[in-house]
Parts: sequence; C-alpha cells; structure tokens
Amino acid sequence: MSVPTSNCPLRVAVMSFAHTHAQSYVQLLRATPDVEVLTSDPGPHPDGELRGAAFAAQLGVDYVDSYDELLAWRPDAVIVTSENARHRELVELAAAAGADILCEKPLATSAEDGRAIRDAVAAAGVRLMVAFPVRFASTFATLKATYDAGQLGQLVAVRGSNNGKLPRERSWFTDPALSGGGALVDHVVHIADLLDALMGAKPVSVTAVANSTLHADRARAETAGLVTITYDNGVIAAIDCSWSRPDTAPTWGGVRIVVAGTAGTAEVDFFGPRVTGLVAATGAPVELPYGPDFDEEMLRTFLRAVRAGEQPQPDVAVGLRTLGIVLAAQESARTGRTVTVGS
Amino acid sequence: MSHQPLRIGLIGAGGISLNHLPHLIALGAEVFVFSEQGAPELVAEFGGTAVDTLDELLDLVDVVDVVTPTFTHFDVVSKALAAGKDVISEKPLTRTPAEARELLARAAAAGRQLYPAHVVRWFPEYVQLKKAVDSGALGELAVLRFSRSGAFPTRTPWFADRSLSGGIIMDQMIHDLDIARWVAGDVVTVSAVSNRTGDVGAPIEAAHVLLTHASGAISHVAGLWGPEHIAFTTEYSVSGTGGTLEHSSAAQRNVLMDLAASTVGGEAVPDTDPAEDPYFLELRDFVRAFADGSTPRVSAADGAAAVAIAAAALESLETGQPVDLTAKGW
Repeated sequence: MSVPTSNCPLRVAVMSFAHTHAQSYVQLLRATPDVEVLTSDPGPHPDGELRGAAFAAQLGVDYVDSYDELLAWRPDAVIVTSENARHRELVELAAAAGADILCEKPLATSAEDGRAIRDAVAAAGVRLMVAFPVRFASTFATLKATYDAGQLGQLVAVRGSNNGKLPRERSWFTDPALSGGGALVDHVVHIADLLDALMGAKPVSVTAVANSTLHADRARAETAGLVTITYDNGVIAAIDCSWSRPDTAPTWGGVRIVVAGTAGTAEVDFFGPRVTGLVAATGAPVELPYGPDFDEEMLRTFLRAVRAGEQPQPDVAVGLRTLGIVLAAQESARTGRTVTVGS
Repeated sequence: MSHQPLRIGLIGAGGISLNHLPHLIALGAEVFVFSEQGAPELVAEFGGTAVDTLDELLDLVDVVDVVTPTFTHFDVVSKALAAGKDVISEKPLTRTPAEARELLARAAAAGRQLYPAHVVRWFPEYVQLKKAVDSGALGELAVLRFSRSGAFPTRTPWFADRSLSGGIIMDQMIHDLDIARWVAGDVVTVSAVSNRTGDVGAPIEAAHVLLTHASGAISHVAGLWGPEHIAFTTEYSVSGTGGTLEHSSAAQRNVLMDLAASTVGGEAVPDTDPAEDPYFLELRDFVRAFADGSTPRVSAADGAAAVAIAAAALESLETGQPVDLTAKGW
C-alpha cells in the first residue's frame, strides 16, 4: 500500500486483536512503506482463540506485552481494535499518549462512553477517525457524485441491508457485555455512516423490531433486526441488520443500498460482484467475490491525515451520530416505541 | 341460476380493468361493463358489452367484478351483494377497516361469496415462497423484507389523495402487507414512516412499514411511487432457521433487450408472462369458486386483514408511534 512518505517513518500501534479486522489492518500496514507497526493484545483471552503474542507471531508483526510498553514506544497513530465496550478505555489511553486514533466501529456502546471519547480526544488535541470502510468504496464515490450532480434529484427514501453470518471467530461478538448488543449494534452503523456521508442530514427518530429466532442456541441478544429512520431532510431509511446469512453460506454476506430520489433511483451492492459456479461432485454453489479492499483506501486516508496533521473523515461526530441511531434502535426494540435520536 | 356462459358484470373501466376484462372474456364469460366513463372505449378494444346504468348491469349478470376507485368499493360492493351477486373486488377491499368488517357481514348475511383481488398471491415467485415456507424448508421464519417500486400513478387524480386512496401504503404496499401475512402469519404490531414530495404534476411517495408477526417474525415492507420513468420492480428476501429465499424481478427478467427506442419504465403493473398471467389465474380461481364452491387462495377475511394492517400503518404515520393491531378489534 502506498502512502505519501516523509523523512521519518510513521509509528502505528495496534491496540488489541479482539476484533478480527486487526488482522487486515496489520497486514495492510506491514505492506506499507515508511510505516513501523507495533502491536499489543494483553490477556486474559478466551479459550480456543488465537490471540496475543501467538497471533502476532502468526501475522509476523512486532509485539509487546502491555499497553504501557506499546504507548511508551511513542506511536504517531493508534488503531483500536478491541471489543466494542473497551473502545473508551483504549481511546483514552491512546489520546493521553498524544496519538491520532483510528477506532473500530461502533465508536462506543453507550452515549456516556461516546461523549467520554469525544472529550478525551478534544482534551488531548488528537484526531480520531471511525473505521467505516464502506464509504471508501469507489462505488460509493460514484453514488455520491451522482447525487451531488443532482441526477437523483431530491432524496426521498433509502433501503439498506447489511446481512452477515453470526460472528463466530471471536466469542465477544455475541456477549452483549463486551459487544454492546447483537445485530443492531454490529450492522446498523455501516449504512448509517453511508447515509451520513451521502446527504449530511441529521437523524430524527428511529423505530426498530428485532428477534433472536436465528441462532437461538447462541443468541444472548437480537440476531435479526429491522430499523426505520427519519432524517431532518425528510428522507426515510430502512436498514436490515440481521445476522441472517446461514453459517454454511459460501461468502460472509454484504452491504447493499437502494436510494430513491425525485429524479430516479440508484442501487449499490458493495460486495456484490462475484464469479459464480457449481461444484460437479456436490452441486454446491461456488462464489468468488472480487473487487478492491475498502480497508486499504480507508487506512491510506487515515495515514495521510496523520502525516498531514489534518482531521480525516468519518470523525468522532459521525461516530456519535451513528451511535445515536444504534442506541435509539436498541431502545425502540426494547420498548416497542419510536424513539427520538439523542444529541 | 347462472347463465351459460357465465355473465360477469365489470364495474369500472380504469387502469386495472385492462388486466381484468381480457381475462374474463378468455374464461368464456359474457361480460357487461358499466363505468361512469370509458366503458365504450374499453369494450371496443377488448370486447364485451357496455351498459348505461349500474342497475341495468346488476339485472343482466350472475357475478360482479368491481374495479372502481378504492373509496367507492364499499358502496358498489354493497349494492352488488344486495342484488344477490357474488363479488370480486379490486384491492384494497375497502378504504377503512370498519367498511371491510361491514362488507364481510353483508356477504355472510346475503350468503354470497366475496373475494379481494390480491393478485400477488398468483405471481409465481410469491407462490414459490409460500410453498417453500409451508413445506418447512425455511424452518422457523425470522426476518422478511419486501419491496415494490414503480411510477407514481398520475393517470387519475384520486391515487394522490390519501383520504380517497390511502396513499401508497393502502394502495400499493397492501400487496406486500398481504403477502407478509400470508407467508409469516398474523400481524400484531405495525409502524410506518413516509415521505411525500415532488410537485403536483410529478408527485413522489415512499414509505417503510415494519411488522411484528404473532410468531415473533419481523417484516419490512418498502414502497416507492417514484418518477414516471422508473420500471416496476419487486423484491423479497426471507430468512428462517432452515434457510433463505430471495427474489428480484429486475434480476430475473428472462428477456433483455437493448434497443434504440426504449419501452421500459413507467408500467402500471409488473411484468408478467402471458402464458401464465397472474391476473388470469386469479380470475379463473374466483370464477371456479363461484361455480363449484371451491376455496380460492384469498378470502374476504384476508382482504379485511390487509386493510387493517394498512390502516394501522396509516395511524402510525399520524401518531408517530407503533400501533398494537391486536387492541384494535379490526
């Protein structure tokens, strides 16, 4: 991966391997010239999960045992890939160490933690970016250019779906104490971020329904959710965030939006393109998705901003707005009421 | 005391009459048409006989097919039932749940059959879904999505008046509200959001409706009445513990042409295969039910239930809160 270089290499620290995206980020960083990478993932870790020094060894990346040692290395930037509920403590540590931060989504699991993150970053004078890779897809740039050129007219309604398998690689995804909930907290934010980036409107009210019919044996929170959102520009959006992709599916799932305006409609299936076929012996489907890795463009944007001393997008305000939608959706699913989005 | 061939009275000569009259004739029926306007032109194109008054029509025919605007269904169907006719009514069965309940009572009292034309139950992709769910192939249903998009119906002004048509939810989305209930069972809570914009000459309306079924399954129904050029498309995606099924009408077109003179877009009804036209299959089932008492795949009670769900969605638009349908007595 190429990023504008300067005389001294950029020091990037990765805090925690809890989120599976840590692997993708480490691999991309290691392929980036003039970037030094150091990682830490202190235990204890769940049984049966490759974490800590052993995971670092597998990735072939330098590792230290504690966050104190990691931050004593004086990183320019920190990537937080912990469990969702631990974002706050790690962001506070990284901010206090003066590092710019790329925080895995969602920003936090409570409004209180979200505000604490905003305040910690502001007090330290560092910049935080939330890891929403889908907005870095070239197909999103095409959609945005089409909208900005007026070819969709005034936006009216959006349908979005972010369906995947129930996450199994890491047990914390299905532990509400660490993940902040179920499918609502995991999959609403990507499409909420896309709409934030597309139209810059403010969410007003949220209604959600949910159940835990799928994966009932594993479910400690909702595994299926449907959310409607009204925005202050009149647009109505609906998001299906369900973990409805069967475990046996040939690919993980996807993100798709259909945008309707007064002048027409546009549909983007972000992970859609694929070669398809059949296995002769079993008749099983073959699906070979292709297309660019959106993480790469997202990381490039983050590192460029760190070097330039500029605020990258999506920033902490986007993180808070998308978190506000999630928290309202969770409250709506719990109470059966339509909920006004908190500020 | 039916005539041979059967005499059917078609009431109304608007948009959907084009999808009814040719099939009624194809079924071998003798068709008489009454409409406040357009009946002579309609029979000139497709056949049948135009008559001048509703009373004259009711005197001539054995059964009635009502394809008038929504807000007139209650009065017209009531007259037909009072005249002792079995009745097909275009969806929605009525504009309000109270009217629907009253029509059911009148049909029962008159001993007549009454069927609402929820034609999507005869579209083959929805038949496949229903069969798969009923076979148990999808296991316990968890989450369903339905979508229907087309051009805003501007050919006649009453569609744009929510008090007359019920807007997109009561007119267009009622198809998928009915399918959601057909597939996933009774509905207990309903919420809705909508957006109406554009100008008088080119209105746009969209809505999202969320349903919770008695089983615990959840459904999203999306509707778009968009700009006049857009193609009529439908989609669904259904997931259960046993698997998933999805369909996109745009993805499943089996004739694709790329012509200098495009004729795609702005259709009033979805693309159908004339060899198994859903409107024909639907009307054939209704006519058969009139003749032999067989049970078609949609009942008057189903039509009333769909009206109740749509009415609850409209109430949710007004109150800004989900509606408990079980507390309504609709």
